[in-house]
Amino acid sequence: MLGYSVRRLIQIVPILIGLVTVLFALLNILPGDPARMMAGPFADPDVVKTIREEMGFNRPLWVQYLDNLGNLARGEFGRSYQSRRPILRDLIEVFPKTIQLAVAAEVASALIGIWLGVIAAARRNGWADRLIMMIAALNLSFPLFWLALMLQIAFAVFLRLLPPSGYGIGFDRFIILPAFTLALPSLGLLARITRAALLEVMAEDYIRTARAKGLRNALVMRRHMLPNALIPIVSTIGTDFVRLLGGIPIIEVIFAWPGIGKYAYDALVFRDLPALQASVVVLAVSVSLVNLAVDLLYAYINPRIRYV
Amino acid sequence: MRTSIREFATSDWRRFRRSRLAVVGVGVILLFALLAAFAPYIVTDPTQIEMRREQDGQTLRPPFPPNRLNLFGTDQLGRDIFARVVYGLRTSLIVGILVRGISMVAGVLLGLISGFFPRFVDDLIMRITDIMLAFPVILLAMTVTAVLGPGLVTVCVALALVAWPDVARLVRGQAMSIKGQTYVEAARCVGAGSWRILLRHVLPNCMGPIIVAFSMGIPGAIMYEAGLSFFGFGIQPPTPSLGSIISDGRGYITVAPWYPGFPGLVLTILVLSVNLVGDGLIDVMNPRAASGLQNSRSAT
Repeated sequence: MLGYSVRRLIQIVPILIGLVTVLFALLNILPGDPARMMAGPFADPDVVKTIREEMGFNRPLWVQYLDNLGNLARGEFGRSYQSRRPILRDLIEVFPKTIQLAVAAEVASALIGIWLGVIAAARRNGWADRLIMMIAALNLSFPLFWLALMLQIAFAVFLRLLPPSGYGIGFDRFIILPAFTLALPSLGLLARITRAALLEVMAEDYIRTARAKGLRNALVMRRHMLPNALIPIVSTIGTDFVRLLGGIPIIEVIFAWPGIGKYAYDALVFRDLPALQASVVVLAVSVSLVNLAVDLLYAYINPRIRYV
Repeated sequence: MRTSIREFATSDWRRFRRSRLAVVGVGVILLFALLAAFAPYIVTDPTQIEMRREQDGQTLRPPFPPNRLNLFGTDQLGRDIFARVVYGLRTSLIVGILVRGISMVAGVLLGLISGFFPRFVDDLIMRITDIMLAFPVILLAMTVTAVLGPGLVTVCVALALVAWPDVARLVRGQAMSIKGQTYVEAARCVGAGSWRILLRHVLPNCMGPIIVAFSMGIPGAIMYEAGLSFFGFGIQPPTPSLGSIISDGRGYITVAPWYPGFPGLVLTILVLSVNLVGDGLIDVMNPRAASGLQNSRSAT
């Protein structure tokens, strides 16, 4: 298992090189001169020239590219063009906030989603089932950015219950709206998967046996059905967490949540190559780690799977 | 032979029809498509500005709330939001089908090649998909549209670029499982070339999952287009887009909630309908391979 994990982690390296290469190529085709951006619109041409030389923008592209790769390999993200601060320090500040938001959203959606799925499966084809499945389908169809706006206006402007955007320290009221928005589609997906998995288990012989020996329905659900339906649910939570990380830039920008998604967005708007590439690399690595964790967890709950 | 094909088709349709929601979805999509296609004959000019309106002896200023003339109200310039939404639907539908079309052709082709040809070709294509899938989708799409310059075509290119790897992976898996079938071996024995086998034997046999993947990918494309336009990286002003209308309406959210509200509602209904049709298709084809595809990447 350890060998497997190490091999998986090594496999990330070429992917990261590919990511950096694609980004470098894209951002160098981008119109706009980073030196001019840094100097500001009314800067003296001499200042722009000095910055260009200082930052090495006047060197041939392939030298810049190799230099950039070398720096990354040594773990140096460099300095942001925009803030001139070391990017590593920025990332240490913003990344935990993203994790905090993503975990809060995923936990919320897992708890509510599984609960709804259990109810739907227990009342199969009843009105509760239909209603829940309808809500699930609807949740999967909301455009996140619009949903965010609507929740903002409902809870912050009209009801005045929650702050519309911003960041408070820790798990403050600020996290509720963005986390909930992010959780809604996942919640629908999890409710569906839970229901489907439970219905599949329900047809098994041992469920009939459990009922036949007189166990109460709730106990059959908790002790026999849920544990056996757990495999698809857990793997969905894993892939869903990855999906969540993909949607996070949108939510962070709209709710002014100072996480890595907003950081990357600002970097893109400012043509800040080092900051953008650093955040994309960090996001890609975290996605790979989540995927690895899911696969390992998968083997743990399903003893039939073994990684060598 | 022909009758048996027709029988298949009717039994598929019967199975599809059994899910009433999917049929409703088809109806809604048809309605939206008709609205979009005949927009100029149905709605007023979406660029018509009306800065004042006399009513009951009072002079009103836009944005006007929903009324007899403006079903969805108007924006700050008095432009009819219903008309703009109908034209926006046009953009959404074009983008959804175009993006899915391009990414399916690319993904199916590369997936077939990857699943069928020697190891090094497979490795190369799969490593490329690894890299593409490691990108945060929305950031990559934004970067590409920033590079190519925003607009309808570039948005389609950017979204197709982020969408094909999923398809390639799915089709590769299908192709690999079909590769070992005896009929493929038989075809090879009678001297059929690789391409002939791919197109005549492998491709037709993975059509089910491909059709499901096509329909399941459309909502993502539509939502990403709206998302890109919302952030100003997508369709640019003269061309209406639901995303950019919502973005414009953001500033008026407290005084004119209908302004960003209705376009988003229509967008949600469109996406919901396509999703329902996709669910219906899954029931018909029941390819377990495709069921995980739908939401793994749609994040907007």
